[in-house]
Amino acid sequence: MAHEIKPNLKYTDDHEWALLEGDVLTFGITDFAQSSLGDIVFVEFPEIGSMLEKGNPCGVIESIKSVNDLFSPASGEVLEVNENVSDSPENINHNAFGSWLVKVKITNKSEFDQLMSANEYKIHCEKIS
Amino acid sequence: MELKKTSLYHEHIQLKAKMAPFAGFDMPLQYSSVKEEVFAVRRNCGMFDVSHMGEFFVTGKDALKFVDNFMTNDFINAGPNKAVYSPICRENGTVVDDHISYKINDQKILICVNASNMEKDWNWLSKNVGKFDCKLENKSDDYSLIALQGPKSDAILKKIHLLPAGDFPYYSVKESERNNYKYIISKTGYTGEDGVEIFCSHDLAKILWKEFLQEGVVPCGLASRDVLRLEVCFPLYGHELNDEVTPLDSALKWTVKMDKTNFIGKNALANYNPRYNLVKLSIEKGIPRAGYSILDSNNNNIGVVTSGGYSPILEKGIALAHIEKDKFPKNKIFKIQIRDKMYDTEYHLKPFVVGGHK
Repeated sequence: MAHEIKPNLKYTDDHEWALLEGDVLTFGITDFAQSSLGDIVFVEFPEIGSMLEKGNPCGVIESIKSVNDLFSPASGEVLEVNENVSDSPENINHNAFGSWLVKVKITNKSEFDQLMSANEYKIHCEKIS
Repeated sequence: MELKKTSLYHEHIQLKAKMAPFAGFDMPLQYSSVKEEVFAVRRNCGMFDVSHMGEFFVTGKDALKFVDNFMTNDFINAGPNKAVYSPICRENGTVVDDHISYKINDQKILICVNASNMEKDWNWLSKNVGKFDCKLENKSDDYSLIALQGPKSDAILKKIHLLPAGDFPYYSVKESERNNYKYIISKTGYTGEDGVEIFCSHDLAKILWKEFLQEGVVPCGLASRDVLRLEVCFPLYGHELNDEVTPLDSALKWTVKMDKTNFIGKNALANYNPRYNLVKLSIEKGIPRAGYSILDSNNNNIGVVTSGGYSPILEKGIALAHIEKDKFPKNKIFKIQIRDKMYDTEYHLKPFVVGGHK
């Protein structure tokens, strides 16, 4: 089954998408990720104001069968989390790219630049599926 | 080691099931979505390939006596064509497995055991059959097993001529035949809903699976099966039951019949002081998982979640938990620790969901 990949976004190995506007990075999980997790029933976010480090666990996404860490695609301070997703986690299954999770004020733009392009991510997904 | 395949393996692949190893078999974990599969069973009809389970047959003069002796529940006095759920205990009262025995007749009994315990059960029962005049055979490789579960299962069975004639209440069993195919059908299951389990040849299993699909039955995997059994608080070996605990530690006193003349483990269980209470807890937000700690209102560690998960029907987290008996809180306040947070729980006296079985 082919999964949606948005051309204008950057991606991580852990199947997260990231969008940079100014120095604010918004991230969520990809369509591929939601599909492999199955029914998502719980999301635990980092605290607003906390400092995240690139690649470190910063939250949890739980499907009916599994508990999965959420990793930060870049380092920075948490500005906002998506409370709508917290109330209706199933929205991630319905629209993964429309369900952003966390907004971070990043400290080092090069961390974003190092993320995978849509094409690189597509190859990454093909390798593991 | 290469995983074993059930007779319906190719059907699962065709249906694009997510497969996973379970008890040495490559089994379907889920097809579409666990939630949809749970709803199908609660509201309409779902089917499970549970051919990995073990089927032993006991035949001969002492068949009834042998089975009644290895189970804690009462089998001798169960009526003809009845099925009985029971733990199987050691002399010291600990649980070898839990299972269902089916009284096809007084000299032919089907014993259905957990796949993950099949070898252990076989060794245990073989060791104990010697003093009885009956034959114990492992026919697990010859049988497929399909569980059809849900409020619409009776109507579907009737339509395709699988429902045996006459009265067929919950926990009964019959040998039957359709188009020269023999099968054993029982009003049992692991979901709390009305439904049957059909023990049959691999050929008939393939035929029935297709017929059920045509009737709109939703194929369901082991993931939804686990959610369904947890919602109605049925124990699962390896979670609520294991080699270290007795049935009295896991809310199964109703299956231990001390007025029976004898059964393996009776003496030990008569003098046993249970170590645990099994409690039912739910939380509004957050998913309890097996292994998480239970705390009292003073944050003392008092127990552990044995099974946990998300109930799609209740839309909240549900758990069964072992509470150490001497630490059982009088105020009945239980908290579950999930990662570094404590969650308040609701304490339930009744199962989370009441199945519709008749």
